[in-house]
Amino acid sequence: MIKIRNLSFGYEDELILRNISLKIKEGSYTSIIGANGSGKTTLAKHINSLLLPAKGSVIVDGIDAKKDPAGTRKKVGFVFQNPEDQLIYSIVEEDIAFGLENLGIETGRMGIMVKEVMKELGIENLAKKNVNMLSLGQKQLVALAGILVMNPKYIVFDEPTTMLDNKNKKTITAMIKKLNKKNRIGIILVTNIIGDIKDSDKVIVMDKGKVSFYGNKSKLSKVILKKAGLDV
Amino acid sequence: MFRKQTFGQYAYKNSVMHKLDPRIKIVSVVVLSSAAFLIDSYSKIMIFSVFIISLIMLSKLKFSALLGSIRPFFFIFFFILLMYIIFSRNDLNSGILTIWRFILFIAIASILTFTTTITDLITAIEKLLKPLETIRINTRNFSLLIALTIRFIPALFLYAGRIKDAQSARLGSMKKPGQIKVFIAKLLDRIFSSASAVSDALVSRNYDGRRSSYFNPIKLGFMDYLSLSILIIVVLWII
Repeated sequence: MIKIRNLSFGYEDELILRNISLKIKEGSYTSIIGANGSGKTTLAKHINSLLLPAKGSVIVDGIDAKKDPAGTRKKVGFVFQNPEDQLIYSIVEEDIAFGLENLGIETGRMGIMVKEVMKELGIENLAKKNVNMLSLGQKQLVALAGILVMNPKYIVFDEPTTMLDNKNKKTITAMIKKLNKKNRIGIILVTNIIGDIKDSDKVIVMDKGKVSFYGNKSKLSKVILKKAGLDV
Repeated sequence: MFRKQTFGQYAYKNSVMHKLDPRIKIVSVVVLSSAAFLIDSYSKIMIFSVFIISLIMLSKLKFSALLGSIRPFFFIFFFILLMYIIFSRNDLNSGILTIWRFILFIAIASILTFTTTITDLITAIEKLLKPLETIRINTRNFSLLIALTIRFIPALFLYAGRIKDAQSARLGSMKKPGQIKVFIAKLLDRIFSSASAVSDALVSRNYDGRRSSYFNPIKLGFMDYLSLSILIIVVLWII
């Protein structure tokens, strides 16, 4: 369970998140939707401890992000909007193993884990390829593999399909759904496109740094979305 | 055009040189290159060249590929020779010897890059620099810096190409100083935003400047010790 209590965060004079409190259950599929500048990515970065709360707290499975940010990062993976900036090493399988090297996983086990995750995502054929030679969709799958191999309990996807064409968008969306339904990984999808929330159980609507709605997708009304500055 | 770019042009072959520990290869490159510049007689450089050619053959490296590595330097060789002809015609032998040394240096470096993957090179550099940790220099950070540089050089060219295309599409010209200023500003902006995103990606994947395990570990074996012994013999002969 991810518990966010009275979370506030700002840059210099500007307050980006205002007193946010919510709970995200294990194995759930939650979408955070909002217009540009509504604070959705800032909120998502707090869940992965890329940002730490200025006020309030973020607790992931009992681990306080302020006290043990590395501990929360082991629980929550983060897939960025632009895979171009997420890949560290030049060779696909080596990049996937990067996080495992940081976790100190033994070499033999690391090889098995990398192979398994590549098989699961259907990218075994890319193992020895240079990441600079891949398409954007393939890069996003490699970026996802690099996170998935670390065996997180939750994964935050920050607008993962924004830069992709329709075909790759469908592949990534289907993969996210599969990870949630089959692998029971808690999904937190950040988006500004209403169509993207179709697979989610819960929806968080962000508006000017505040949560204007948090609940079941079925209870979400067009009025709330319009009020948050989203195209309905 | 950037898709064709490769660094080091590593080519997999089942050769002795490919299997050698990258640390031995790096040390050998440093030692043999220095040795090449210490040699001052034609007879010694001939024997040394035969030794380097045998290393090339052991690497199963194509001579045409090697020639491709040397070709970009032809202009420099020509320039060196020209300088000797103009200013020091009596000492033309030294000029030829200098060019010969340069060719040997490129050949030695090429053996390393053609037979070693970038990851192995980085791991080797990290391990070779390990003693620096006693003076609190983080060698993992240093090796990651090299890896990121290699990884992002093609991306940098790609960003530059996109900005240039965007400028050209709106009738911009790189011949105008104002447009060059805009180009540089946009490129720097992209680099900084990319650097910030990469930094987030590193943190989110639990990077903390240390690592206790390697995906591709390197280990010294019998052939590595044998190569090191041969290297010492060659160096002693030259000195």
